[in-house]
Amino acid sequence: MENQKIEEFKQLIKSRLNKPMRYYLDVCTRCGLCYDTCHAYYGIPKKEYSPVNRAEVVRKIYKKYFRPSGKFFPYWSDATEIDDNVMEQVYEAAFSCTGCRRCMMFCPFGVDMPHILSIAKLLLIANETAPEELVMLADGAVEKGKSIDLFKEGYRNVIKDLETEVQKKLNLPSSENLIPMEKKGANILYVGLSGANSIVHPAVIFNSAKEDWTLSYFEAVNFGAFVGDPEKMQFIANRIIKEAKELGVKEVVIVECGTAFRIMKHMMGELPFKVSSIVEVIHRYIRDGRIKIREGSIKEAVTYHDPCQLGRNSGVFDEPRYVLKKLAGDFREMTPTRELNWCCGGGGGLVALDNEEFRIKSGKAKKDQIVAAGASVVVSACENCILQLNTINQGYGLGVEVKSLSELVSENILTGA
Amino acid sequence: MSTIQVDVNMDLKGLACPLPVVKVSQQIKKMTVGQILMAETTDPGAHADFPAWAKTSGNEIIETEREGNVSKFYIKKLK
Amino acid sequence: MWDYISYLVMVPMVYVAFTTLILGIIFKVYTVYKSPSIPARLGVYPQDDITPVGIIKDSLFWPVALKKSPLLWGFLMVFHLAIVFLIIGHMELISDFRVLQIIPHDVFLGAGALGMILIVSTLYFLFRRFRSPFREISIPEDYLLLIILFFSILFGTIFHMSARYGSYSELVKISAGDFREYFMGLITFKPVLSYKLALAPHFIVLVLHVFFSNLFIILFPFSKMIHSLFIFFAISLKRK
Repeated sequence: MENQKIEEFKQLIKSRLNKPMRYYLDVCTRCGLCYDTCHAYYGIPKKEYSPVNRAEVVRKIYKKYFRPSGKFFPYWSDATEIDDNVMEQVYEAAFSCTGCRRCMMFCPFGVDMPHILSIAKLLLIANETAPEELVMLADGAVEKGKSIDLFKEGYRNVIKDLETEVQKKLNLPSSENLIPMEKKGANILYVGLSGANSIVHPAVIFNSAKEDWTLSYFEAVNFGAFVGDPEKMQFIANRIIKEAKELGVKEVVIVECGTAFRIMKHMMGELPFKVSSIVEVIHRYIRDGRIKIREGSIKEAVTYHDPCQLGRNSGVFDEPRYVLKKLAGDFREMTPTRELNWCCGGGGGLVALDNEEFRIKSGKAKKDQIVAAGASVVVSACENCILQLNTINQGYGLGVEVKSLSELVSENILTGA
Repeated sequence: MSTIQVDVNMDLKGLACPLPVVKVSQQIKKMTVGQILMAETTDPGAHADFPAWAKTSGNEIIETEREGNVSKFYIKKLK
Repeated sequence: MWDYISYLVMVPMVYVAFTTLILGIIFKVYTVYKSPSIPARLGVYPQDDITPVGIIKDSLFWPVALKKSPLLWGFLMVFHLAIVFLIIGHMELISDFRVLQIIPHDVFLGAGALGMILIVSTLYFLFRRFRSPFREISIPEDYLLLIILFFSILFGTIFHMSARYGSYSELVKISAGDFREYFMGLITFKPVLSYKLALAPHFIVLVLHVFFSNLFIILFPFSKMIHSLFIFFAISLKRK
């Protein structure tokens, strides 16, 4: 590779050498405790899919350019120069990882793998070998943020159709204002996704609870984070923050999308509004009696898949269980569950890529868990997970039903209560 | 009904986020410049996502139709 | 010639080693201090303990490792405890600490047992890296540090045990006092390498022990050994 490009790569690595990165790059002793904790490794037992190996790919590059040992005595740490072959390893490391951070639970030092891989993703963007689907989606989201005024009218018109759907579901006389938009001073700004389901079901729930809410023009998902571009990630999240500030809402509620929730809740610093997941809001409504649901109406065995970004990485464990235990007579936990739950294999933007074979194989851990739980309905609270669970369901012919929590609640809501 | 001569039809109804845009983008890469792709989707978000995508990827949405909750996007490959 | 080499190892190299260690750690900490913070919280959930307690628990007792591999955890615990006791033991070669004499003892309370424990656990750490899957993830550093450490411990133990259990005349048998003279000389920058020490049986073993220890100390700040310090930082992020 030409020197100029290497220089550019070095600058990019340097830009990511923040405090956590310094700890994570230096603290690892390669004890190997994380070796088999990745779902991808469970499905495809190759060292390339072990967390420690992914980190080493980055670490060896870092040592080559930033550490005396790597510069003067590369043998010591097997420091490697960047070349095309190494860049392929970098790709393999970055985009076989879903960012679920399960390995972090088994690391005695608490090394945050996706944080290390943010260097890998940055190098791939500069090398123009980042997954083009993700680059495209991130660019689209940025463009949408820049020229939202052009799209507002078209979007509002389709939302009108959805209002009719909500009206039918709730048996209301009028569809007027069932999905409010641009409502200043509302309690809640709800941020959905592109799909109708991500708006209709929450709208049913909000209206039943008589919430003072408004719908965001933007989609919550952050492809800037998936592709690993910190600037686009910031921009995409800031679109929503700006909207929330302009409307002066008290709370921003994020759709069932783990990444979007974690970014807004934990990655953006202090914000002048509360950030909640729709799952937490549903729990709040049911607990406070603001909505009523048909308790025990689901007779089949139900299990819950903890989305990694919602559970382990954001701490929302009990709320979905509270709701599901009310709805389902036979609720079953997967083993392991909660913070040690296996990732389904869909996170990190992987579901958007043309990699179905890999995702079916790396979803083996999840498949085994679902089979062991003996459930016929698998509920989750993340669009990514739902997509991947469907891939697993079809790939292994499991014949289970995959549902989102908000869909389940909206279907079982008691109207006119 | 539109009278536009369509080269490829895609049914993206009910697909979850972000697949519609991804599928369209993958499909349009296989086509030749000037050809037209018609994509049907039920995603309300598509009304912002598709134009934004078209703008960044250098394609053109020549027409949009709506029938009930199904939207049809006619996309012309420009480069 | 040999006198010259042994002096080099026993005096100037010790200075070099400790200077490198101190400056190296300052450099490492300064680099970290200079690096930017990020607004993101990188913690994992649930967070059961209040933060300082949790950080100390995770950093010193590694419950995560215990859950995943009790065998490795056992070796790690024994190994690190032995290291702590050995550091205390070496402190007693510098000066007589009253506190440590709560249990009255000759210097090196363990009487060689700690060395044995360390030899066994170091070999365990080394041998586990000889086979898959740990072989694939190991890099030369992992082996080299263990080998250097192994030699340091091995020679240290041989020296200590032969001095303790060998039947030598009192004239050549060295005592804690001889070491205190040597260490105090180093600390006060008036180094002495007494004839008593230099003529002790197995002096060469002592030199080898000091040589490998020096090497290890020099490498400490620039190798993965920095985990002993950075674990507190990394764990505090996990609990944030």
